[in-house]
Amino acid sequence: MTSILNISMRDFKGLVFTPMFYFIASLCAFLLSYSFVRNLIDFAYSTSASQVAGAVKYSIHQIVVVSHISITNIILIFAVPAITMKLISEEKKTKTYDLLLTSPITSGQIVIGKFLGGLFTSLLLVFISFLYPLALMLFTKIDLGILFSSYLGLSLVCSAYVAIGLFCSSLSSSIIASVIMGVVFNLTLWFLSQGTVYSESDLLVSVMDHLSIGDHLFSFIKGSLKLSSIVYFLSACGLFVFLSGRVVESSRWR
Amino acid sequence: MINVKQLTKNYGDRCAVKNLNFTVKSGEVVGFLGPNGAGKTTTMKIITGFMAASSGQVCIDGDDVYEHPLKVKSKIGYLPETPPVYNDMYVKDYLSFVAKLKGLSKNIIGGNIDYALEQTQLQDVKGRLIKNLSKGFKQRVGIAGALVSKPPILILDEPTVGLDPRQVAEIRKLIIRLRGKHTILLSTHILSEVQAICERVIIINKGEIIAEDSLAVIAKKASVASKFEVDILRKEDELQKTLLNTPGVLEVERNGQKFYIQINPEQLSTESLTKAIVNSGAGLTQFKPSMNYLEKIFINLTTSSDHKEL
Ligand SMILES: Nc1ncnc2c1ncn2[C@@H]1O[C@H](COP(=O)(O)OP(=O)(O)O)[C@@H](O)[C@H]1O
Ligand SMILES: [Mg+2]
Repeated sequence: MTSILNISMRDFKGLVFTPMFYFIASLCAFLLSYSFVRNLIDFAYSTSASQVAGAVKYSIHQIVVVSHISITNIILIFAVPAITMKLISEEKKTKTYDLLLTSPITSGQIVIGKFLGGLFTSLLLVFISFLYPLALMLFTKIDLGILFSSYLGLSLVCSAYVAIGLFCSSLSSSIIASVIMGVVFNLTLWFLSQGTVYSESDLLVSVMDHLSIGDHLFSFIKGSLKLSSIVYFLSACGLFVFLSGRVVESSRWR
Repeated sequence: MINVKQLTKNYGDRCAVKNLNFTVKSGEVVGFLGPNGAGKTTTMKIITGFMAASSGQVCIDGDDVYEHPLKVKSKIGYLPETPPVYNDMYVKDYLSFVAKLKGLSKNIIGGNIDYALEQTQLQDVKGRLIKNLSKGFKQRVGIAGALVSKPPILILDEPTVGLDPRQVAEIRKLIIRLRGKHTILLSTHILSEVQAICERVIIINKGEIIAEDSLAVIAKKASVASKFEVDILRKEDELQKTLLNTPGVLEVERNGQKFYIQINPEQLSTESLTKAIVNSGAGLTQFKPSMNYLEKIFINLTTSSDHKEL
């Protein structure tokens, strides 16, 4: 456990205190600020409109927070691979990989440590995004339970992206290749359920829906903590961390 | 202590190392000498558990590297060809990271870092960012990382390659200081390095061991030079004829009044050679041993096989 934390703390510092991360974080903040303000304006319009027509009233959560979270998710799809790309690729390039592989630790400890390092870093972006709805509390009443469940969901999505990014990073010693692979992987998982719209087979549809990230995240956003969704995210992390471990181990056999 | 048996490594169908057998005893300083591409790095990567052998076995204190990787790795300090340093870390933080990686307990980490800094004389730069250090210093940080767990065995892969002469001298001095504290296996393609640092040498070429000797034996042979540079004043043709008829003279090259004479020291002593030259009345003005025994085997053994292939 200490060796895992040792690796993850080193990676966390190595990932956060870089111009690259500052750039990603400020870009993230910029995009979120822009979209958040737009969402607030939309919300203001819709509430005034509904007063006139007596239509269904939407809560601020449904209008502002939900779309804020989906914007954050889109940012994460691209930002997380850009953060995690360095985890293993960079070590291969600078030969510090040799140090890790000749130290008295297992491949499993290496990849779990790196996963946590990447996760702590990526969660900083989730935290930045969390500040916006939190700030709303100064002006209006917000359902905290539903907010927390949404962000728990988003954090789980984020950890799945990190595990995927780690796996892509382990596959290649080129950081560019690992970013591209990571983004493609993330998008695939996201759009998996879209491909089944015209499918005849109910089984296929339900399998694809279950595999795709979207439905699981939406159950969190609606405020329901489904065990199956938690298991889905944790097993996605477990699977990709495990695969990264196998890739690291296999490099000893070339 | 290190026991290598029938070690073979193939990269695809390319054979990098073939049936290596050697042992390194506790406390020894052994030089692993061979030209580039001989298989030194490959052998070291297998000993340190970085990768697995295709066949054969490496044991450290009787434990197979493959079967007990964690136990074996904790006994080895390894400096790869490129020092495995993180450019974005401070020297001291790096050493503390490596110490934790090696599984040292908290209460001895501080002391071990001081030991590594002291041995490598890095105290003055311990607060510097590794990125900003010179190549020689990065190499020393790499060595400090190998030392920080005070491992019984040190494996250093070409520790002086790519450094300027002053840095080379410093690293050699550093390794000499470590003699007696650790068992050291060091690879190099520079012969004089082995002579300066090691007690025993294993010469490897094209993945096979071609000679293995203790440096004491070699030093004795080395003092017996086998090639001489001779300057004379006259009678060049006559001298050349005499020399070629002397048993034990292998080769005579002539360049004006300068001769390069290659002898077999076992057949002809240096004394008899000088006598023969003086007696020929050629007017000897200079007599200089130009190559010693170790150099000769190194060059003969490692180049002759190349010639055969050409
Ligand atoms: N990863 C690799 N893939 C394929 N061939 C390799 C690899 N590493 C080394 N080799 C080959 O194995 C041989 C031995 O290399 P190496 O052990 O690095 O030699 P040395 O360290 O003595 O210079 C060389 O012919 C080299 O080309
Ligand atoms: Mg080498």
